[in-house]
This record gives sequence, C-alpha cells and structure tokens, in this order.
Amino acid sequence: MSDTAPFVRVSGVSKIFDGDRAHGSIHVIDNVSMDIGTGEFVVYLGPSGCGKTTLMRIVGGLETATDGIVDLAGERVTGPDRHKGMVFQAYTSFPWLTVYENILFGTKYRTDINDTEKAEVSRHYLDLVGLGEFSEFFVNRISGGMRQRVAIARTLAAGPDILLMDEPFGALDAQTREFLQVQLLEISRIEKKAVIFVTHDVEEAVFLADRIFIFSARPATIVEEVPVKDTIPGRRTLETKETEEFFHLRNHVRNVMLAQTKAMEMIDVPTGDAE
Amino acid sequence: MSENPTSGSQVSTDSPRKSNLNFRGLLAYRGTSTASAELLMAVCAFCGFFLVWYAIVAFGIVPERFLPFPDAVVKALWGMFATNNFIEDVGISITRVWGAFILSVIMAVPIGIWMGSYRVVGAIIEPIVDFIRYLPVPALVPLLIIWFGIGESSKVAVLWMGTFFQLVLLIADDSKRIPREYIEIGYTLGARPSQITKDIVFRSMMPNMVDNLRITLGWCWTWIIVAEIVASKSGIGHVIWSMRRFLKTPEIMAGILTVGVIGLVSDQIIRILARRIFRYL
Ligand SMILES: Nc1ncnc2c1ncn2[C@@H]1O[C@H](COP(=O)(O)OP(=O)(O)OP(=O)(O)O)[C@@H](O)[C@H]1O
Ligand SMILES: [Mg+2]
Repeated sequence: MSDTAPFVRVSGVSKIFDGDRAHGSIHVIDNVSMDIGTGEFVVYLGPSGCGKTTLMRIVGGLETATDGIVDLAGERVTGPDRHKGMVFQAYTSFPWLTVYENILFGTKYRTDINDTEKAEVSRHYLDLVGLGEFSEFFVNRISGGMRQRVAIARTLAAGPDILLMDEPFGALDAQTREFLQVQLLEISRIEKKAVIFVTHDVEEAVFLADRIFIFSARPATIVEEVPVKDTIPGRRTLETKETEEFFHLRNHVRNVMLAQTKAMEMIDVPTGDAE
Repeated sequence: MSENPTSGSQVSTDSPRKSNLNFRGLLAYRGTSTASAELLMAVCAFCGFFLVWYAIVAFGIVPERFLPFPDAVVKALWGMFATNNFIEDVGISITRVWGAFILSVIMAVPIGIWMGSYRVVGAIIEPIVDFIRYLPVPALVPLLIIWFGIGESSKVAVLWMGTFFQLVLLIADDSKRIPREYIEIGYTLGARPSQITKDIVFRSMMPNMVDNLRITLGWCWTWIIVAEIVASKSGIGHVIWSMRRFLKTPEIMAGILTVGVIGLVSDQIIRILARRIFRYL
C-alpha cells in the first residue's frame, strides 16, 4: 500500500511509569516514532520487559504516553474504542458464553449495523477462524488454540481498523502456533487491516511481518527496522520458512536481538560478579 | 441446548447419572466422583451421625434428660406440627430470613460493585463498613429493639446488620477480582463503563457471588434465632426458647433440627439452580 498519509503515526512517544516507594519511576519508552501503512503487518520484537506491550497499549489508547502523540486514520488517539481491537496472551474469551456468543459479543456495542447484520458478521468470523462446528461449545470446553481464535474472531467482529496482538500465541504449542500463524496471515490478507503484533519469537516475527521493529532494552528505542516484505514479497506459506531468504533474515534478526539481550543483562547486573 | 453428536467426544466430564459409583475416585487424592457416589456418602454420614447419637444416649454417656433419643426428637417434631401449629412458626421464620436476606442482597450487590468499580467509593465506604461489621450483632439487639420495637422491623434490622456489611465487602472483592483484561476487552469492543459493569463484570463475578450469597443466607439463620429468642412471640427461635422453660429437650432439639433441615434444603436448591444457570463451570 503506497498511501501518502500513513494509517498510524506514532511521533516522539515516551513513557515513564511513575514509581512508588518500593519501585522508582521506570523509563520504559524513549522517543519512538513510526508510521504504519493501511493493511500493514508490523511486528514488535525486543528483549523481555523492554516496553513492547506498553507501546502497543499506547497505540490502543489503553495507556497514555508521557510524551508524544499517536494518530490513527488522521485522528488523535485519546482512549480505547472499538476501532482498536486487542488480543491478549491470556485467554480473554468469556467462559459464560459459547463460542458463537463470544464472537457475537464483539458486535454488541456496534451502532453501525443492525441485529441481523450482527449475526451475519459473527457467523462470517466464526467460519473465518474455522470454528463453525464448535459454535455451541462453551469456551472452557475447547483447546487453548481455539480460544485464541475465538478471541481473534470476537475482536474482528467489532469491526476494528487495526488489530493489536500481544503475544497471542505465546501460550500455545509449536504446531498450533504455526497453524494459527498461517491462519492469521490469511485473515489479515482478506481483511486488509493493519496489525501490530508483539512477540518474543524471532521466527514468528519474520514469518508474519511486513516490517519488524526491533527495540532496545529499556528504555525502548528502535534499534532496527527490518523491511521483511522487501526480501520476502508475496504470499507466505509454511514453505516460506524453508527458503534461503527467510533463513538469512531470521539469522540477522536473531543476532540483533542477541546483542540487545546482552545489553540488557549488563544493565540488570550493575554490580556484576563476573562481568 | 440440544445434545449435538460431536459433543460426546469433546466433553470429558462424567455424566452424573453413571451407575458406576467410582469408589477409587472418591479415595484418590483430589480424585473424581459421581453424583450418586456423593449422595450415598451423604446418606451414610447422616446415618452414622444418628447412630452415634443413639449410642451416646443408649449407653447412658449423656443422661436422656439432656440428650433425648433421636426418635423422641422426631416424635416431638411430629407433635409440634400436629398440635402446636409449628408450621406457622416455621413459615414466619422463613419469611423473615428471606425478607431480610433479599433486602441485604439488593443493597449489597449494587453498592459492592460500585465500591469495586470506583476507588473513591471504596475508599469512602470501606472503612465504615469494616468498622460496623466488627460490631457484635447480639450487642446491637437491645438498641435495635429500642429503635424498631419488637415488631417485624426489628428482626429484619438484626438480620440486615448481621449480613449486609459482610456481604457488601465480599461483593466488592468479587467484582475487583475479575481479570483486568476483561475490562480492557470491554473498552476495545466499544463498551461504556456502565455496559462493562452490566455485561462483563456482573456476569463474570456471578458464580462467586452466588457462593457468597449461600454463605450469607446461612448466617441469617443464626441471627434470626437470636432475634426471635430475645424479642418475639413467634418463629422457630421463640418456640425453642419457650420449650426451654418446661425443660422439653426433645422439642428444643426438634426446633434446632428444623433449622438445619431448612438450611440444608435451601442450600441444595440454590446449588442445583446455580448448576443449571452456570452450566459452563
Ligand atoms: N502499569 C505499570 N506500572 C509500572 N510499571 C509498569 C507498568 N506496566 C509495565 N511496567 C514496566 O514497564 C516495563 C515494560 O513493560 P512491558 O510490559 O511493556 O514490556 P514488554 O516488552 O511487553 O515485556 P515482555 O516481553 O516480557 O512482555 C517493565 O519493566 C514493567 O515492569
Ligand atoms: Mg509484553
């Protein structure tokens, strides 16, 4: 997408969490700026605790930046709403509702469509995530991977402009994870929605991303922007993971990550014993 | 919901109607059980209880004057229903308990959720509630009788004092304990705080809340007997207390037993209803 105006514009965002008596104030994000295009799939990668979740939550309006601004589709982000959909790592589908009712819940507060359309939309996303035959199941009777698909479908049913996903597959086994990655790519291709996806997993990042932002240890700054799409254009399948381009890119990203993790260890051990 | 054929392979919970009593599961550490096995155990426990009771009296460990035989108690109970119009007292006590209980609940649930939703409300109400709930309710009874007389309102007041302040804190805790992600999901689906409260917080906390209501209902039976002993011309507590004057131990125990049976039955009814409503648990 070569739109002139970016879909999401993050400019000069910094975040400092006020401390209390036990913990001093924490400088989490330092002057981060980025543009995200319409329908672009962006992955945040960085060492643990560096501030990826915090930055994503600022884009989603769930956290306010200490400094800097976020614009979404030309409008200033001031708080959460249904245009910024969230998927968390923890299972957030509601146990008192069935799979279908959970997805339908995503449309509950929409005013742009009527009840018949809400049911249609919910059916559509139910099928899109491949849970049609489980529609009447309560969500604690289905597997973790299915629960995450329910969460994704529910978020999509709300009709968001952007999907914010915080390690949504973090708790899943490798096979389920891979399966959901492929499914997510399909969904984002069909839906043409911008996605910000936070992960620890380098392979996952390279496989999913149009562009990866690698962050430094706290306070997070962008250390490198990896334009994955330029190296691996076109549709991705599991075979993509076997290609040489993928292999090289993954190694490169891994090395950058390794350097950051090392840097963090040196910060975290100020009176280092061996270092 | 109709039983769809695929559900059989997915749902692994044992059907409660299984005839297999599964004693191995009952004995295993944190093992499983079936409804019929549990029922059998409950019946055995009650039989054992009455047997021990019978033995204690039969062997003269406690004189019969103080502890009558179980069958004497049952006979006394029968007599009370047949000649003393005991059913009316039972009805009066049940009405008082449920009236006060419902009053407590309809006040405690919204206030508790409100306390859990806004720090300012919690910060204002919690210290006061915490103070009052440590006041011994029996000590308040004389005061409540002066204020409300010995009519129905003073009983309701005693029960309300004994339950509302505990319940409101329990409800506030329940509402605070729901995952923060649920609230944030609510916001990102476009809900307003009032809608989040109604559609997410309340629904999510309901099973815990019902458990707390069951416990609270039990307390009501303690306080109603206290209230009826001190100031009443009717009710189970009053009957128990007036039998004391004639040293009618079987009748006293019959009264106590009645309270136990009512408690057991109402608790089971609530549990069955809860299991119906919260089928997802
Ligand atoms: N509400 C908060 N108050 C105070 N500190 C916070 C808060 N939220 C996060 N932090 C701190 O900010 C830092 C960054 O947290 P964040 O969750 O954004 O990191 P992350 O990159 O997502 O980490 P991970 O990869 O482990 O999920 C952490 O050190 C955390 O302790
Ligand atoms: Mg995180």
